[in-house]
Amino acid sequence: MSIHSSLFIRVADVTLRITTDSPHMKVQPEGAIKEFIVFPTKPDVTVQAVWGKLSERTWGKNIFDSGGLWQLYQERGSYLFCFTSPTLGAHPYKMASFSKKFSQCKILLDCSSFRPEKPVYPLEYPLDELTLTHFLATREGVEVHACGVLVPSGGAYLFVGQSGAGKTTMARLYQKLSQVKLLSDDRIILRRKNNRVWMYGTPWHGEAEIACPEKGRLTKIFFLRHGEKNGLVPLGKAEAVSRLFSSCFPPFYDRQAVEFILAFFDEVVKTIPCYELTFSPDERVVALVDGLT
Amino acid sequence: MKRSAKGKKENKEKKPYLKPEVKQVALRPEEAVLGFCKTTVVAGPLSSACATLACLSNGS
Repeated sequence: MSIHSSLFIRVADVTLRITTDSPHMKVQPEGAIKEFIVFPTKPDVTVQAVWGKLSERTWGKNIFDSGGLWQLYQERGSYLFCFTSPTLGAHPYKMASFSKKFSQCKILLDCSSFRPEKPVYPLEYPLDELTLTHFLATREGVEVHACGVLVPSGGAYLFVGQSGAGKTTMARLYQKLSQVKLLSDDRIILRRKNNRVWMYGTPWHGEAEIACPEKGRLTKIFFLRHGEKNGLVPLGKAEAVSRLFSSCFPPFYDRQAVEFILAFFDEVVKTIPCYELTFSPDERVVALVDGLT
Repeated sequence: MKRSAKGKKENKEKKPYLKPEVKQVALRPEEAVLGFCKTTVVAGPLSSACATLACLSNGS
């Protein structure tokens, strides 16, 4: 177990530097995020964590309520994420304040909710994922609910679908094959660089626990649908954009970000062929997908 | 003359081309907002307690 005073993490070519001002805070990443640790380099996002005391006071204007673990407030140009847990009731255990462009973050961890002598990961889910999705929403990148597969022929396939659509099933079918690289079985980040669309693995895996810090140049998109037999139907662009949007994680309260995401998907589907893939969970679907020219 | 008149009539009946636009999206809000714990990860300082208490905030 390594404990860090300064930690660098890179997901989808976005580097986060996590530091602490609290001498007694032991920063320790957990789970698949450890695969995404990199050597110190110039960060895109700086994160500073401290111990403190949080109350149930209001934090400015409430602009979004996730209905679950977090609420978002806006105060003097900053965004404030306030985290609560069902086990702790209404008392917030963590608050994260972001600059307008999401490049600077200050995290206050409530010392009465944690055990300060134990190591912590200040960006613990879902804050790490929220940080990336919000940072990317202004910079040509979107996270989608998808499984990403790189095949030896050079194909980079994105299998998109909400929970239960079959992402993990597809990942497990490809896992049986040699020379195939899986980027993730649940969350993929798409970015456009040099007029090409790239897909990146993320730490936020699904049940197959696949989280690979690599990328591939996207060649095809498949929208998953369970069926009795395998079938492929090419999708129109508007339908493909709609389906991509229904499987992404947009900051709904931010009109500019939502418009960017829709425009980004519009560009993606202009260059990447999109299909609806109806499949029964056996190896024949892999042959069907790989047989596409 | 006859064909031309028919063609004109057909042109009148044709609808103008409209570029396809996304107007409605089938969202699953509980997944899209990252508001809930993933199946293999539990959030919060008492994450082991969350699991023990069969926390109801499991999401995608």
